[in-house]
Amino acid sequence: MPQAEPVAAAPAPPSDAALIAAWQGGDEQAAAELVHRHARALARFLAGAGAPAADVDDLVQETFIRAFRGVGKFRGQCRFRTWLLTIGGNVLKDAARRAQRAPIVPLGEDLRANDGDPHERAVAGEAEARLGEGLVRLPRMQREVFLLRAQQGLDYEEIAAALGTSPGAARVHYHHAVKRLKEYLA
Amino acid sequence: MTDPELEQLAQRLGARPAERLDVERTAQAVLARLREERRRPVAAWVWMQPTWLKIAATAVLVLGAGLVMRGLVHEPQVSTAWVAPIRDDLSDLTAEQLREAMRSLEQPLISEGPGAAGGIETGLDGLSADELRALLRTLEG
Repeated sequence: MPQAEPVAAAPAPPSDAALIAAWQGGDEQAAAELVHRHARALARFLAGAGAPAADVDDLVQETFIRAFRGVGKFRGQCRFRTWLLTIGGNVLKDAARRAQRAPIVPLGEDLRANDGDPHERAVAGEAEARLGEGLVRLPRMQREVFLLRAQQGLDYEEIAAALGTSPGAARVHYHHAVKRLKEYLA
Repeated sequence: MTDPELEQLAQRLGARPAERLDVERTAQAVLARLREERRRPVAAWVWMQPTWLKIAATAVLVLGAGLVMRGLVHEPQVSTAWVAPIRDDLSDLTAEQLREAMRSLEQPLISEGPGAAGGIETGLDGLSADELRALLRTLEG
């Protein structure tokens, strides 16, 4: 029986830093790869922070445009994705200011998902919507710390580096956010 | 609600809009906009920024207002400076001072052509003080 040839290990995908350097050198595909890697996480963050579902696509695009414009200022103090999410927070704030209305979490379309038990789906959708409503009532710092920690799974060191605060302060913001959200959801 | 339940809920938040996002289309749209920005000259980009437009508009308004104010403030002074003193002081001037005043008033005419210049110069020398006063009053209108 012939022995199977050892499969060559697939080359490790380029790091974000390598893709950023390639983009700065004029490689468009590097920019496209960064969009592919981080667009969905960014969309989740924006939607969680109160972006209307219909605007998420535009806000994601705008965030990437701003990030690529200002990528020279990115010093690697945190991960590229974390930095991108903080830019997304600024984009969302600017969009809300332009629209002269408070960001809202849309209910209708999210509740019309067509998988799983309709009752469970409705209950889950309602809970998410309530959480979204609670989040938009929080101060921006608490909201972003909560999302970066609970939704994106980042540690306090990373969150603090991205938001320009200390890990201790980030922890305090998170606990305040949790307390107020629990009160709202009770 | 416990902390883990809240975190679980937070992890689901925004999942559907994220799933619906067409990542490929987003990437292409981002690239298209970046290409467009790279083609556009930097100066044009800077001048398209709202802040610069506001500064430019403010500067135009300030300059315009300044010009209007300058016109309002200076015009009366110019007319009195040229007309009033001459009208009032003609009687006190000597013939030589009157000729000097005439030459200064007629300077543009003198420079129009060599023939005209010579004629005026010659004519002034031959006029008396009273004739010069009368001529000056005529020129004042």
